[in-house]
Amino acid sequence: MDFYLGLIQIIGVHTLLGLSAYCVLLTGQVSLAQAGFFAIGAYVAGMLTVLAHWPLIFALMASGVVAGAIACAVGFPALRVKGLMLVVATAAFGEAVRLFFFNFTYQVSRGAIQLGPHGGEGFRQIRYFPENGWSTLDVVLFIWTVVALVMAVLWWMDRSRAGAVLRAVGEDEIAAQSVGINITAVKVSAMTIGGVIAGIGGGIFAHYTTHIEHIQFGIVLATFAIAYPILGGLSNVFGTVLAVIFIQGLLIEGLRFMGDWRNLLFGGLIVLAMNVRPRGLLDAGTLLTLKRLFSRNRERSGA
Amino acid sequence: MDLLYLIDTIQSIADGVLFGTTYALLGIGFTLIFGVMHKINLSYAAASIGAAYASLLILSVIKAPAIVVFLMAAVAGGAVGGFVYLVGFKFIPLANPLATLMSTVGLLLLIDEIIVHTTAGVPLNYPALFSDVIVPIGPFNLRGDLMFVFVLGCVCMVVLLLLLYRTRLGLATRAVSQQPVASELCGISITRVNVLTFVITGIVGGIAGAMTGAAIGMLSPLLSLPLTVKGLIVTVIGGLGSIPGAIIAGLVVGGLENLFQFLRGVSERDLYIMLLLFVFLVFRPSGIFSLPAGRD
Repeated sequence: MDFYLGLIQIIGVHTLLGLSAYCVLLTGQVSLAQAGFFAIGAYVAGMLTVLAHWPLIFALMASGVVAGAIACAVGFPALRVKGLMLVVATAAFGEAVRLFFFNFTYQVSRGAIQLGPHGGEGFRQIRYFPENGWSTLDVVLFIWTVVALVMAVLWWMDRSRAGAVLRAVGEDEIAAQSVGINITAVKVSAMTIGGVIAGIGGGIFAHYTTHIEHIQFGIVLATFAIAYPILGGLSNVFGTVLAVIFIQGLLIEGLRFMGDWRNLLFGGLIVLAMNVRPRGLLDAGTLLTLKRLFSRNRERSGA
Repeated sequence: MDLLYLIDTIQSIADGVLFGTTYALLGIGFTLIFGVMHKINLSYAAASIGAAYASLLILSVIKAPAIVVFLMAAVAGGAVGGFVYLVGFKFIPLANPLATLMSTVGLLLLIDEIIVHTTAGVPLNYPALFSDVIVPIGPFNLRGDLMFVFVLGCVCMVVLLLLLYRTRLGLATRAVSQQPVASELCGISITRVNVLTFVITGIVGGIAGAMTGAAIGMLSPLLSLPLTVKGLIVTVIGGLGSIPGAIIAGLVVGGLENLFQFLRGVSERDLYIMLLLFVFLVFRPSGIFSLPAGRD
């Protein structure tokens, strides 16, 4: 049972990571920096609860704010370029963050043990949940409450003017500019929102794994972050969740019985999915079909 | 400053520049594919390493001198390039840039995993040529294997430039990269040019992979991600779509990388390369040799 609860935790945290990339992708920008913001959130939240004894909620808020502020600061120079250049710039930023934490040591001795991040060894003993008596189920509920909140906010944003503006920039920058949208402001705000979400996700990640190190936040995590929304489709926040369940639940855990062959299938299935459904698993066409299906059923039951 | 320290510094820069030809070749590959298709092929460096592995596999089946391994890597690279086009680009609508980006990420993971699966993740020794030759020039020593890699890289670039600027195929390739619609109206088959670009860049990549193996002395699947990042950085610093830019940026990045490794140690080395990239993005976003404005 604990195994499945753990899986649900992983899916929740990766959903947050995917949603952070979703915000940026809506404006048509591919950002590989999300793993960097995730790492910043993880280290900030971990240090605040372990070293400064903050309650978790405030630590998560702080990690969201810090990651968002850094995302905003990075957004200005990075968003001067687009396309491939932006991919490379953000990938380089993500790697720079990882290398920073690889060389970052700040330890405080508490009794016999040393606490705090320790360079290449990473940050051990983030024991907030066991120290405060949270059961695994509590943690699962907490993570999914946060996920549901973030999804609700994004869902609401998508249906408001802000979402229309984001999508307009993503579809055609010049057309968006010509109707008076400030492109830079829109892109930087999308980057900032993405940074906040990634920071919160990273903070939660640090607490349920209890041990973080630089290698977890590499370019692989960054590609996963953009893989979820692209694979799931950008028409809807639920596509991202679906893709996280597809990748983490089905491809990574569900194929364990295949042993060594699992990793081979992993890449192959992503390629296959993109060939079969280039606009994502849950694209606009499928949504429309689903809607029609449901409304027809309702008509029939009504008649 | 100590004279010996100065000599060591220059020596490390020289070694880095010699190895930089590998980055230059990878940068050319990224740039060519981007120029022709306006797409990023993230699986390129992984495919190059895969081609080098394939050449080792062929060499273990047939007995041949070590020089053949480079030829085999080129052939295997061409085959892998065609495969990447077929699986990652052929059936995906090109109007959607995110879909091909994702499919190449999938291919990157797939190629890496095929390597890990066939070799059980153990690094393999790669045959180096002239590794026992050391040419002393004054107080400096030039390693034979690095010299060979450098010369091979230069030959490869010259052949590629001749191909692009002196043949009809090269003309067609440049035409497609400038104006796809107009070149199609002139009777150039875009699909054919795309396939040939992938095969040619695959051949270049295979040679680059073999050169990496020969310079480092071994092959490991762990090489593909750092090479992807370095290749992309070289592409951006050199200017998207610019071949001379990719060559110069490759040599510069190779030299600086080794210099930083000598000055600050291996764990901080890449941090400075990233900073260099940021300096370029802020002050010269279009790279050393920028194309005329209005393209992205």
